[in-house]
Amino acid sequence: MKIVVTVKLVPDTNAAKRIDPATKRLVRTGLETVLNPFDEYAIEAALQLKEKLGGDTTVTVFTMAPETGKETIRKALAMGADDAVMLSDAGLEGSDVWATSYAMAQALKKTGFDLLIAGGLADDGNTGGVPGALAEYLGVPALTNVRKIEEAGDGKIRAQRETDSGYQVVSGPLPSLITVTMAVGEPRYASLKGIMGAKKKTIVTLMLADLGLDRAVGTDGAKTEVLEISAPKPREKARVVEAADGASGAQAIFDFLREKKLI
Amino acid sequence: MQNVIVFVEHKSGQTRKVTFELATEARKLADTLGGKAYAVVLGTGASTLAGQLTKYPLDTIYTAEDADVDKYFLDPIVDYVEAVAKTAGPSLVLVPNTMLGRDVAGRVAARLQAGLTSDVTGFTTEGGKVVSVAPKLQGSTITGCAFKNTEYGVATVRPNAFEAQAGGGGAQVSALDKPAGKSYALVIENEVEEASGEMGLEEAPVVISGGRGLGGPDPFTTLLKPLADALGGAVGASRAAADAGWVPYSLQIGQTGKIVSPQLYIAAGISGAIQHKVGMQTAGTIVAINRDATVPIGEFADLLVVGDLFQIVPELTKMVEGAKAHA
Repeated sequence: MKIVVTVKLVPDTNAAKRIDPATKRLVRTGLETVLNPFDEYAIEAALQLKEKLGGDTTVTVFTMAPETGKETIRKALAMGADDAVMLSDAGLEGSDVWATSYAMAQALKKTGFDLLIAGGLADDGNTGGVPGALAEYLGVPALTNVRKIEEAGDGKIRAQRETDSGYQVVSGPLPSLITVTMAVGEPRYASLKGIMGAKKKTIVTLMLADLGLDRAVGTDGAKTEVLEISAPKPREKARVVEAADGASGAQAIFDFLREKKLI
Repeated sequence: MQNVIVFVEHKSGQTRKVTFELATEARKLADTLGGKAYAVVLGTGASTLAGQLTKYPLDTIYTAEDADVDKYFLDPIVDYVEAVAKTAGPSLVLVPNTMLGRDVAGRVAARLQAGLTSDVTGFTTEGGKVVSVAPKLQGSTITGCAFKNTEYGVATVRPNAFEAQAGGGGAQVSALDKPAGKSYALVIENEVEEASGEMGLEEAPVVISGGRGLGGPDPFTTLLKPLADALGGAVGASRAAADAGWVPYSLQIGQTGKIVSPQLYIAAGISGAIQHKVGMQTAGTIVAINRDATVPIGEFADLLVVGDLFQIVPELTKMVEGAKAHA
C-alpha cells in the first residue's frame, strides 16, 4: 500500500512574527521553519500503519514549499518516512487555500496513493480547508478527524472518527483521504539511525511546468486577498493577588467577577 | 456575491448557539449587499429545527429531512449545500468554525470554486466586497481578507463572535429535492457517545479550564465541573491534561485543540504557554489560579490569584452558588 502524508512547513509557534506591510505576507526571513505540529501526527499515523501492515507498504511525505524547506522535510524522513515529494515553484507564492489545494491535487495525481493522510489544521493559517478541498479535486472520499485506523488495506478503510461528544465508526473505499487528530498517538522522535538514514533518502522536486495546470495559481489564481493587517488589542498584565488560604483566594475572584458584572 | 447562506450544524434537531449568531449576521450582511439570507438544515430533525429558526430574520430556510445525511459521512451535506448555493446564485456561505463546520467549508469551497476564509470574528463590506476579519498566526495578527476571482465565498465563523438576535422572522420553509445521481462512499457504521450531552465548549459563555496543576482526572469532575455548573459554563483543559489522558481531546483548548471566546475564562493550574494562549486569548475576562506567581498566563490574564486551587475552587463554587441562591 502506498501511503502519502501531506505536510505543511510553518514558522515556529514560539517565534515572534512580522507581516510585511507591502506584501501583507509573513516575513519568513530569519524565522525557523518547522513541520506543522498537526502534521507530525499524520506522519505518526502513517508510520504506525506501515508497521502494522508491513510488506510493501511505503510512506511518502508530500509538501508544497520553497526549496529551502528541504531540511525540514528531512526531519519527516528521519522519523521513518521512505521518501518525499516537494512541489516547489516561485509561481506558487501567494496561493490561498483554493490555489494551494488545486496545485497540490494535480501533483498528488502524479505521485499516486492508496491512502492520503493529512493533519487537521495548519498552525499558522488555521483554515483547515485544504484537506477537504484536496479530496474534491482528487475525487476521493475525505474521512476526517480520525483518531484510530481500525483497518486499512484491500481497497477498504475503517476508522474511528472523533466527534465533539465521542466518535463514529466510518468505513469506505481506498483510495481515500483521511485527516487525523492528536489521539492517534504522540509523534515519535527521530532516532540517530533515522537521522543518518534520512540524508540518503530521495526528495523528488516537482515544478508547476510538470503539472500542466489549466488554471492560474499563486497570487493571480488566489480567490482571497489580504487587504489589511493590524495588531490585536494587547492584553494587559494581570492584577496579581496572593491568596493566604482558599477563602481569601475565592473572595478575590468573587469580588473581581462582581466588579466585571459576571456574577 | 450578494446572498448569504447559513449552514446549520445540528444533531437530531438540536443545534448550537452559533447557528443563531450566523442567522443574525447573515441578515445584516445580506441587507448591506442587497441580497437574501438563507439557511440550510439537513438530516433527521431538520423540520423541527427549521421551525425554531423562523424566529430569526431569514428569507428562506431550506430543509432536507433525509436519512442519508445521518447514514453517510459529509458527502450528502456537501451536495445539498452546493445545490442551494447554485440555486441562490453568487453568495457567501457561512459555517461555524467547528470540527464539522471546517469539514463542510473546505469541501463546499472547492465544489463552488470559492474563496475560503477561516475563524472569522467580524465582517466588513467595502464597495460590495465582503471582507473577513480574522486573527492569524496564533492571534498575533488580525487580517482583513477579501474574496476575489470568484462569485462565491465560504467563511468559517468563530462561535461567540457575533450576537444572536431573534426577530424579523417569517422565513419561508422550503423542502429541498435530493441532488440526483450522487453516490456516497463513507458509511457511518455506528456512533458512540463518550461525553454527556454538554453544551459545546466553543459556545459556552463561561469556560473553567484545568491543566497539569490538577494532577489527575478526578479534579475535573469533583472541582471544576461544580464551578462550571454554578457559573453556567463548560469544562475545558490544557493540552498537558489531554495528553495525560485525564480528559478526552475534545475538551482541549489551544493551538492544537479548540479555540474559545467565552465572556469568562477561568484557568486553574494552567501556566498559559503560547500553545494554550492561542485558544483562549480573545475571552472577555481571564482569571488564572496558580501556585506560581511567575507563570506566563500572568502576562495576559486579567486577574491572577496565587494560591492553592484545591482550596480556592471549592470555596469559589460555594460563593457563586450562595450568590445565585440570594439573587
